[in-house]
Amino acid sequence: MSKTEDLAMRKIKFKRSGKEKSSVKSKSRRWNVQEKIFLFLVVVILILGSLNIVKAKGWLIPESKDFFVQGKTVDLSQMPLEKKIAQMIIVHGSTWNEGAWKRLGVGGIHLFALANADIYKEIIQGYQKRSTIPLLVSADFEGCLNPFSNFHQSTAVSEINTHEEAFNKGKEDGKFMKGLGFTLNFAPVVDLEDEIWKCRSFPGDEKEVSELAEAYILGLQEAKIISTAKHYPGGTLVGNDPHKQLVTATIKEQDLYPYQQLIGSEVIDSIMVSHLITNGAVNSEGYPSVASEDVVGALKGEFNGLVISDEIQMAGLRDFYDTLDEMYLAVFKSGNDLILNFDEDPLEVYRMVKVVEEAVQRGEISEERIDNSVRKILTVKGLVVE
Amino acid sequence: MSSKKLLVITNVSLLLVVALLALIFFEVQLIPLGKATATLKEEASCQVEWHGEVNEFLNLDQCCLEARKQLSCEQQERWVCQTGQGEVLKYQLNEAAYEYCQRQRIWR
Repeated sequence: MSKTEDLAMRKIKFKRSGKEKSSVKSKSRRWNVQEKIFLFLVVVILILGSLNIVKAKGWLIPESKDFFVQGKTVDLSQMPLEKKIAQMIIVHGSTWNEGAWKRLGVGGIHLFALANADIYKEIIQGYQKRSTIPLLVSADFEGCLNPFSNFHQSTAVSEINTHEEAFNKGKEDGKFMKGLGFTLNFAPVVDLEDEIWKCRSFPGDEKEVSELAEAYILGLQEAKIISTAKHYPGGTLVGNDPHKQLVTATIKEQDLYPYQQLIGSEVIDSIMVSHLITNGAVNSEGYPSVASEDVVGALKGEFNGLVISDEIQMAGLRDFYDTLDEMYLAVFKSGNDLILNFDEDPLEVYRMVKVVEEAVQRGEISEERIDNSVRKILTVKGLVVE
Repeated sequence: MSSKKLLVITNVSLLLVVALLALIFFEVQLIPLGKATATLKEEASCQVEWHGEVNEFLNLDQCCLEARKQLSCEQQERWVCQTGQGEVLKYQLNEAAYEYCQRQRIWR
């Protein structure tokens, strides 16, 4: 066979093998219906799965530059409204939502119980390192209510009887919290009666409770921890009707005495307002205290410190309103400076910010009222507000 | 079992996964939150234990929040939520209360 014939034969063989291969390929591409459905479902699962992760991680929350912060000075006039509203929120400081809370620019994080001190330090340092404006870091460290009880014991305030004991407890609790990185303690409780836990209230009458609470606060402050008297206007630690989600209480003058004393002596840094519908010495006019402009407004008339809402996701408060939006607006309109919202969904918290932002833009809530709260919060954080 | 049958079963399973993911994405709640106690078989009950003294905690929402703040919840005769061992504060929830709490936004 000549060289030309040999080459021609090779070309033919090559073409045939190519055709055979493409015929095999075309056969394999002929998917039956079930295989097509399978492929379609896998693609849908991948898309929906990814969307769920994006949503859960809060990656849909837009990130913005904090250009309004220069060192320790904040230019409030340059601070976007959305960021101001976010500063008024304290969320649950879970590790899985850290990125979302950072993007949102929340004012603070609240930590629940964790296994040991190192985990607390790691979480708090992580959050603070990635925040342009320092975060308020809070816990409910009262005594018997103790998120650190896995590794640190604390005396119940019901066992505290003298000023010295109260002051020392405040100082020790404060020093311990400071060591972990906390800045804010939702304590002391100044409710006069505790029928449920039997350990959260100081012993004695309203005068003794006020004096012991004041000594405890001074101890906390010596350790540079912000104190909170709770739960205004009182009557929260008593048995309630289990068939009512939102409970009522008749407030007596004695219940208000600790607040009057602590405000009068200019000792207390912040006051937490409860969800109770109250009558008597404080009348919330049928609304939950935390959402009552009468209750919060009157309190702010006497008290210049931070007014903090109790956690707002409790069904009792939520079910008072037809929609979540109504509740969000109510707790902002009533005048709370800081709102506790432990919703684990960052997109829902972001939605709250947008709902309030829109209310400000249409004049339902004044921007001045938002500015006043943000100014207080930033000042407490040690920043200079211009 | 033929491979075709196997593929049909797989597809039905995948369809269920798609439905589940869609429900999660669109936050479809099959039982309205906050009214879930009405569907529970037994009366929800929460108790607080401090130094051996047990008291009823009638405000279930508040109980859920406090239980959620604890380090762990373990199922014993009731669900017991606490932080640490020994004479620490304990929240004891029956099955109905625990189920109710788990449906709250703070617990998800």
